[in-house]
Amino acid sequence: MTLAETQALFCEAITSAEPLARRRLEACFAGTDEFPATERVTLYAEMYGWRLVDALREIYPRLARFLGDGEFAALAQDYLKHHPSTHHDIGRAGHALPGFLRRFPDPDRPDLADLAELEWTRHTAFFSENSAAVGADAFAKLAPGTFARARIAFTPALRILALRYAVTGLWRCIEDGVKPEPPVEGASAVAVWRRGFEVLHGPISLEEAKAFSEALEGKDLAQICASFAKTPEPAAAAHAALSSWIEEGWIAAIVVP
Amino acid sequence: MDTSHLQLGHGVGLRTVHFSRYLAERPPVDWVEAVTENFMARGGRPLAVLEKVRGEVPVVLHGVSLSIGSVDPLSEAYLADLAELVRRIEPAAVSDHLCFGSHRGHYVHDLLPLPYNEEALAHVTSRLLHVQERMGRQLFLENPSSYVSFKDSTMSEWEFLAELSRRTGCGILLDLNNIYVSARNFGFHPATYLAGIPVERVGYFHLAGHSDRGKYLLDTHDGAVPAPVWDLYRQALRRFGAVPTLVEWDDRIPPLEEVVAESRRAAAIEAEELRPARRLAS
Repeated sequence: MTLAETQALFCEAITSAEPLARRRLEACFAGTDEFPATERVTLYAEMYGWRLVDALREIYPRLARFLGDGEFAALAQDYLKHHPSTHHDIGRAGHALPGFLRRFPDPDRPDLADLAELEWTRHTAFFSENSAAVGADAFAKLAPGTFARARIAFTPALRILALRYAVTGLWRCIEDGVKPEPPVEGASAVAVWRRGFEVLHGPISLEEAKAFSEALEGKDLAQICASFAKTPEPAAAAHAALSSWIEEGWIAAIVVP
Repeated sequence: MDTSHLQLGHGVGLRTVHFSRYLAERPPVDWVEAVTENFMARGGRPLAVLEKVRGEVPVVLHGVSLSIGSVDPLSEAYLADLAELVRRIEPAAVSDHLCFGSHRGHYVHDLLPLPYNEEALAHVTSRLLHVQERMGRQLFLENPSSYVSFKDSTMSEWEFLAELSRRTGCGILLDLNNIYVSARNFGFHPATYLAGIPVERVGYFHLAGHSDRGKYLLDTHDGAVPAPVWDLYRQALRRFGAVPTLVEWDDRIPPLEEVVAESRRAAAIEAEELRPARRLAS
């Protein structure tokens, strides 16, 4: 048996849903009467499952708590059959779980995909690049007449999620150990950011999410502020949003081209 | 390349549960070993901890995903991330495992053993030479603990490792717990393993705990170093001399003091074993 054939058989035996035929394993692996080759290989298969389910549980602790150990493990194993790990970092093995939950939603809790999206986003924010934020006087420092033309660069940890359900309530219920209300569909937006090394999140208005998208596309402050045009008090809403972006440390730079 | 330059003393693994202690104070050990993949991100708390610690004690980077024995092409993305981390941290040594952990682009996140024969030896030799050239430095490879062996093996693990080191100039990270676990699982004598490893190739030792599952020993790294592994450590010191030694504790990790106490115990055993023989009064 070549090295390539050996490795193919070993990995198939570890990841296959069903045990492989004994004669195939015994042609490759050695064993003893007390501890036969098939049992030795099964040990690796069990460890493969445990290790990856544990890794997913670390990334998705609220989803795991909500579902309970058994149901989460079943979900994780099903997910891994469709999405085996393709990255050397085991922490990235869970990257497709939100999409998987959207494709195969829980009929009673279709909001679990959004909950998973929030957990995954927090996970990536935790490991994102460190960056300093501008100070409270950043807008005041702009030269007169340049405000409207200025553009914003955000800190790398900041992410804005567009979701189908308001999952921050579900998150809070899981944290508090309270039974959540049934999900109600409706567009919502959540910001995820980092203060120091602490990851935070909170709901934001759809107008603010739109303003954020405009900024990410490189649009200037005049266009960013126009996102609030349909609010009852556009100027006040834009001012409040920009002030909070500074206060929360979301803005890395304000540049006048 | 020889490995005699490694003079680190006694260290422990840098683990997340102890991060706040490392941020608040100087590590109470001679050196630390960091699991490479946990620090490959571009930012965040883990990297900040590692950068602080490296300013205080030597750091060794210890990888689990190089997959040096895989028939897949070496991951250039992985090597780029590793090179960047090495540039940033300037570790005292870089190590990984004699194993494979990926196949056809899928990672099983395990340290799977290889058949020990000429085909595998030539394959690993060629990849290791490439990695060492790419990194511009010697790598240390660790003997894995294992539960399966292969009908196509034609040599022992220690013969394979010794020959690999001779062909590539790589150093050997000798995990004494892994030797003990594999010895029990395959029925060889651990002293035979030690005797087959060239003294000058060994860069450092690992010590760790395991679990006895009756039919076999499982390499769990979830407890104190067991007595038979301490005994093997004494034998290894007598053969290899004062080699840097690290205590690994990866699961059910106790407070830092307990892990450090294990490291100090290793230091005390080394002092005891390598103490110059007292002259008899005439």
